[in-house]
Amino acid sequence: MNSPHHKRILIFLLTSVGLIVLPHSVNIPPALFGFFSLLLGWRFTCIWQPQYLPTKRVLFFLTILAFALLLSQHRHLLGRDAGTNLFILALGLKLLEIKTERDIYLVTYLAFIVAASLFLYQQSLFMAAYILAVCCVLFATLVAINSLQIHTRAALKTATVIVMQAIPLTVIIFILFPRVEAPRWMLFEEKNKAKIGLSDSMEPGSISDLGTSEELVFRVKFTGALPPPKLRYWRGPVLSHTDGKRWTQVRFKESVDNPSYAGTAYSYTLLMEAQEKDWVFGLDFPAKFSEPLVQNGYYQLINLENPHKRAEYQITSYSQYNTGNLTQSEYQTNVQLPREPSDKIKQLVTQLHGFDSKPDALIQQILNHFRQEDFHYTLTPPLMEDNPIDSFLFSTKRGFCSHYASAFVYLMRVAHIPARVVTGYQGGEFNRVGNFLEIRQANAHAWAEVWLENQGWVRVDPTAAIAPERIEQQLNLDQLELGGDIRFDAGNAKQLNWLKQTRQLWENADYQWQRWVVNYDSNNQSDFLSQFGIHDFKTMMQWLMTLVGLMTVILSGFLLYQKKKATDPVLRLYQQFCQKLQAAGLTRSNREGAVDFAQRATTALPEHAEIIEEITAAFIQLRYGRVTTREDFGKFAKLVAGFRVNNPHGYRLP
Amino acid sequence: MALLIVILLLIAFVYNNNLAYLLTFLIASVFFITILHTFKSMAGLVVQAGQTKAVFAGEAAGFDIHIDNPNAVERPHLQIKLTKPHSFTLNPHSKTTQTLYSPTQKRGWHNAGTVTVFSTYPFGLFYAWSPLRFNTNALVYPKPSTLELPFPETPSADAELGMKHKGADDFYGLQEYQAGDSIKHIHWKAFAKGQGVFSKQYSGNGTAAEVWLHYDYAAGHDTEERLSQLCRWVIDAERADIRYGLVLPNLKLMPDRGSAHYRQCLEALALL
Repeated sequence: MNSPHHKRILIFLLTSVGLIVLPHSVNIPPALFGFFSLLLGWRFTCIWQPQYLPTKRVLFFLTILAFALLLSQHRHLLGRDAGTNLFILALGLKLLEIKTERDIYLVTYLAFIVAASLFLYQQSLFMAAYILAVCCVLFATLVAINSLQIHTRAALKTATVIVMQAIPLTVIIFILFPRVEAPRWMLFEEKNKAKIGLSDSMEPGSISDLGTSEELVFRVKFTGALPPPKLRYWRGPVLSHTDGKRWTQVRFKESVDNPSYAGTAYSYTLLMEAQEKDWVFGLDFPAKFSEPLVQNGYYQLINLENPHKRAEYQITSYSQYNTGNLTQSEYQTNVQLPREPSDKIKQLVTQLHGFDSKPDALIQQILNHFRQEDFHYTLTPPLMEDNPIDSFLFSTKRGFCSHYASAFVYLMRVAHIPARVVTGYQGGEFNRVGNFLEIRQANAHAWAEVWLENQGWVRVDPTAAIAPERIEQQLNLDQLELGGDIRFDAGNAKQLNWLKQTRQLWENADYQWQRWVVNYDSNNQSDFLSQFGIHDFKTMMQWLMTLVGLMTVILSGFLLYQKKKATDPVLRLYQQFCQKLQAAGLTRSNREGAVDFAQRATTALPEHAEIIEEITAAFIQLRYGRVTTREDFGKFAKLVAGFRVNNPHGYRLP
Repeated sequence: MALLIVILLLIAFVYNNNLAYLLTFLIASVFFITILHTFKSMAGLVVQAGQTKAVFAGEAAGFDIHIDNPNAVERPHLQIKLTKPHSFTLNPHSKTTQTLYSPTQKRGWHNAGTVTVFSTYPFGLFYAWSPLRFNTNALVYPKPSTLELPFPETPSADAELGMKHKGADDFYGLQEYQAGDSIKHIHWKAFAKGQGVFSKQYSGNGTAAEVWLHYDYAAGHDTEERLSQLCRWVIDAERADIRYGLVLPNLKLMPDRGSAHYRQCLEALALL
């Protein structure tokens, strides 16, 4: 295993293995990645310094070490993380023990498994393209083993061509291969790292850290018209209980009332990114949805399946709704205050006619108060440690949505009007390329709901009063700097610069990728296939077999056609010569040999006898001769090119 | 290979991961398509049997096989096998000749047997092969006897000549070892010194000598042993530059010398 040929194969192999494991550097513990890199580096050195290859004893020791390392990190060998690490270590150890061709195959196979494990961590379009490229290198390694003399580029080209040819077949199998959900016991529970997201409580200030995060939360594609920006409220947890600082959810035991709906119905597909919580943010107010979604007592959608995966939901929401009456306990919950409000607040509520006017009049009063007094919208409000509501209302007067929503609800409750805080997302950026809305962490929002007689719960957004642009337009994150001025993007098509367009194009590709490839589950599959009249498992398998067969026939035809197209250049030139003679009325029959034909031609065209014989002799020499050189061919080509038949009838054709 | 696909499918299934499925199907499709490429790596080749070389029994007979690639595609790794596989590369529109060897045991016509042209290109996962039975034979001469017997005194030979011949085992020089030389004639001392393999040459008494190599006078229990002895004599006589005639039960070759005669005699011995 030490010829230059083998060296090249090893370089190929080690490079592709390195490329496969590289993206895992963020997924596996640094100790293990370090250990693997050490093994890889060691093997690389041994290409040129084979005397440093480990002996059996050293290898045994390394294996023990690897297992110890693995167990110290995971304590078991099952599950995604431990399994991936196991395969990576096995790959690293096997690298040091490449003795025969069989070992190279084993390493290649292990590398493919590690490549598949990468998809358990990341499923982006970029990752898929990367893996595809690395797979080409791995296949090229196999090509190199099976070729006597092959250049790196030629091997890569062969491998890439084969991979490209395999893609249509892959797509067919991918679409038609039956998807069955794995049984529950096979799912290894993973403790996931905490992800940023809305929390189930709110302390004005707690949302500030997500204020500028561009992390994508979900995407929405509407089947019909888009709701106007001021209706784009994505409902999340409802916070009804407060201790004066924190707002928290209250467990709601009673069943959902059946609200009545009116106004425009919006149907859409919602594609949630992997989440820590099981919340699904439906457009306010979600009315129709299917499993695995349920609605809790706060009309918030809850996902009953594992939220750590991307998932797609079909939801219909209505712009108008009436949630009906409140029960006594609901009323109590929603006017709850931790203690007697301060005199200052009571005074303010009195001043706003909170105790002697109708609830909707009070709403307007409070919103006007925010508007007229010196309130400001900022993402970096001053800290409000004790009595945040009082400090906000009377001294700092600066804050963002949480501050306004909590203060508003507090004031309503002081006036004994049921009110609560709703958190979720608001707005979303419209992707023109893919026609969908993208909702990011930066869109996190908090607003209020007030219960009104005969109307039920009504949404009121106090932030809209102070910063209407925040609601009407998209916060321009690119230009946003903390503490600086907040500018708003008008969302005008003319302002789309190329950077943004590229980003949208990419986002769209990624969205389509997520939607059609990553999320292609048994439901999607049956929906998609039923369009083509494929309804049951049996027809699916029949189609799979038929199309794979058809594809094979097409491919073999393609490969064999290529072969036919390319004929011997000598023969091609000879055919040119025959065509020239044909123009003079001499047609060579299929059974006629070159010599016989030449004889006939010389008899018919005695004036060309010499050249015909010369060409024929050259042809025979080139085609059947023992030794032929490039010069012979050149001479032959020149002869054929120079050959002209004078028209035997004595006149020139135009 | 199948195991790899199963493991990948299992990973994709357990984690319900579509991209893992996609990768699995891609690898499976690539492997599947490889069958076509392996087939293509051999399709269209023209294989013809060429010349053969006559050998003495016990040696390996060589068969020339011409492989012509009439197409514009390269054949990066073809293999051909009679007893042992050979690898070679064929450029577009080119041909090559591979000599394959097959061990022989018996004199007479030795059939080439089945020549297998095969390929595992591009990934070594599939094996495309074509067993070819050429009706091509190599002539196998009898194995020269190792016994050192003097040329027979034949009735037709002149008594004087016979006498001369008896005492003619004089060493006259060394010659490079040739197939068929008796092991006893090898100059072992020279061989041990690493100077190469030489045969000691013994000579009769000049070019005028003439012997009749008669089947009936050859020592041996059966035909094969006798032919083996005759073969030895033919070789020795040709080397000693003696004119020799051959008398077989069905054939008589008049005394002569030279490679054509030599070959004729050996052929007669081989085909008796």
